[in-house]
Amino acid sequence: MFSGAFRERLFGAWVEIRENLGRSTLQTLGVILGVASVLGGFSISDSQRKRSDERWVKLGGMDRLNVQPSGAIKDNQPTALQNANLGLRHEDAEEGNALDTQVTSGVSQQKNARARVRSAYADQDRQITGIAGDYMALNGYAIERGRTLTAEDFENGRPVAILGAEAASTFFPTGEIVGQTIRLGDIPVTVVGTFSEKVFRFRENQKNQFWWRNRVIAVPSTLVARRMNGDKWQRVDRVVFRIRDLNVMEKFGDGLSSLLLGNHRQQEDFRIDDIAARIRKRRSQGDVYNVIFMLSGILSLIGGGMVNVNIQMATLKERVREVGVKMAIGASGREIFKGFMIEALLLTGFGAAAGLVGGVLFSKTITSFLQIPLFMQPASFLWAFALAAGFGFLFALYPAWKASRLSPMEALRYE
Amino acid sequence: MTTDRAIIETAGLTKVFGANGNAVHALRGIDLTVARGEFVALVGPSGSGKSTLMAIIGCLDSPTAGTYAIDGVPVQGLSGAALARIRNEKIGFVFQSYNLLPKASVLRNVELPLLYAGISRKERRRRALELLEKVGIPEKANVLPAQLSGGQRQRTAIARALANTPALLLADEPTGALDSKTGEEVLALFQELNRQGNTVVLVTHDPHIASLAQRKVELRDGLVVDPEQKAA
Repeated sequence: MFSGAFRERLFGAWVEIRENLGRSTLQTLGVILGVASVLGGFSISDSQRKRSDERWVKLGGMDRLNVQPSGAIKDNQPTALQNANLGLRHEDAEEGNALDTQVTSGVSQQKNARARVRSAYADQDRQITGIAGDYMALNGYAIERGRTLTAEDFENGRPVAILGAEAASTFFPTGEIVGQTIRLGDIPVTVVGTFSEKVFRFRENQKNQFWWRNRVIAVPSTLVARRMNGDKWQRVDRVVFRIRDLNVMEKFGDGLSSLLLGNHRQQEDFRIDDIAARIRKRRSQGDVYNVIFMLSGILSLIGGGMVNVNIQMATLKERVREVGVKMAIGASGREIFKGFMIEALLLTGFGAAAGLVGGVLFSKTITSFLQIPLFMQPASFLWAFALAAGFGFLFALYPAWKASRLSPMEALRYE
Repeated sequence: MTTDRAIIETAGLTKVFGANGNAVHALRGIDLTVARGEFVALVGPSGSGKSTLMAIIGCLDSPTAGTYAIDGVPVQGLSGAALARIRNEKIGFVFQSYNLLPKASVLRNVELPLLYAGISRKERRRRALELLEKVGIPEKANVLPAQLSGGQRQRTAIARALANTPALLLADEPTGALDSKTGEEVLALFQELNRQGNTVVLVTHDPHIASLAQRKVELRDGLVVDPEQKAA
């Protein structure tokens, strides 16, 4: 290698390709189609998935682990142990969050109650959401007017509320809302703020998927627990952990499950709902498409490869004499083999590069037609390139081997 | 390096093409010795076996029977790669039809045997330019063979043949495709190279060209007919 022999071979191969541009283009066609098909297929299916993942995130997020109480009693009468169970509690959330602070990036608790809600303008039966922890952040609520709930509000169970957009306009259609009093059941509660309207539509002109989120009447969970629907064990209706890294979610879920079982006297009176697991399952169904795209790419690479072998064998006939000359002046069969291989691989490289460009254009066209944002992964590029290189190598072997096996005498005399 | 060692030494060289019923005996037992520094013309009518002998001497083909040593190295049973190495280091070929690589420049053509010998890029360039100087076409280094006249092409081929300072310069009808004036010039170059110490074996059917050589080896029906051969 020190003599720059590789560079010379590369240069020789390049000259050969350049001098036979038409033929070389024809030879790369199969590679271009194969690479474009693999890359395009992967990218379109990735874009589609990413789009649907994004919808999931918008609809509630994937990075969540929901814990809800559930009946431990499968059938018949509950046992004494089951009756003695306390259900999902405040401590469960606290301890779960403390389980691994590297993993969780927030925990929200929810304690619900139903109550007659009355203002000067409306009187309705509504759900009251007692919130704690990172509820607002985890559910994507932002304060529009007024203030958020403070630590003191939570600690003292103060009678304060924040209204969702729909609730605000229902109970206070006109005038200033912040500072008004609203009655939740018997409790007069001061409205300290309102949430911005939450809107999510799959398509324009479609119903707002988040309409129900705007109905929220959020109060400190301590208020619900102490004055509306509480008990001394501080039971909660829902605990949601936000997980930093989706990959460790399953592990965290297992840890949480054993922690909760321990807290609940080995009774499984809770349900851990791993949204990411649901999505993973859905994704694996999508893998079928990737396999199909890859197969079609491979078929095209094989087709192109066979065309290549034919062209190479035909051009070998034209180049027998050249091979003979090279052998006469000292090229070994191995040297000839390398020369042909490098030429074929260089062609594959050019074809693959063109195919990658083609694949990007192809994906762009299709995704813009489907109106989904384009999402391409480096892995797709690698796959497409690796497949092309692999098949290019395989199909280059035979002609190169054939050339290297020529007898120098016969090759020189070949007309 | 011994100066008196024979460059070519064959004993009972036989070559048979085909088998059994339609076997053709191209060579029927050639004993030939060419000493270092000789200029030998290998002559004979077509079908006499001179091309076959040249191929075997050039290590492009192997004999059916008999032994052959080039520059003291016996070539029987050598692998294809080893033979390629001998062709590369010990033999310089000059063909009637030049056999230059059409897509490579004159310089690259001359560099090619050096490349196969594993010579560094810089050294290759230096030697190739020196050789082009020697054969009298230094200004043509960067043109393609197609842009050269026949004589210039043959000079390029000779420069290429000399690249690895071979023990033997093997020329097969080197003037066959040239007009007589250019042919004379190329022959003069061979004579000059011989004077400088190169061993030259020239295959020809032209008695005039053969007369320029120090020694004439005539083949007929696969046998050497010239008695001079024994004296050498």
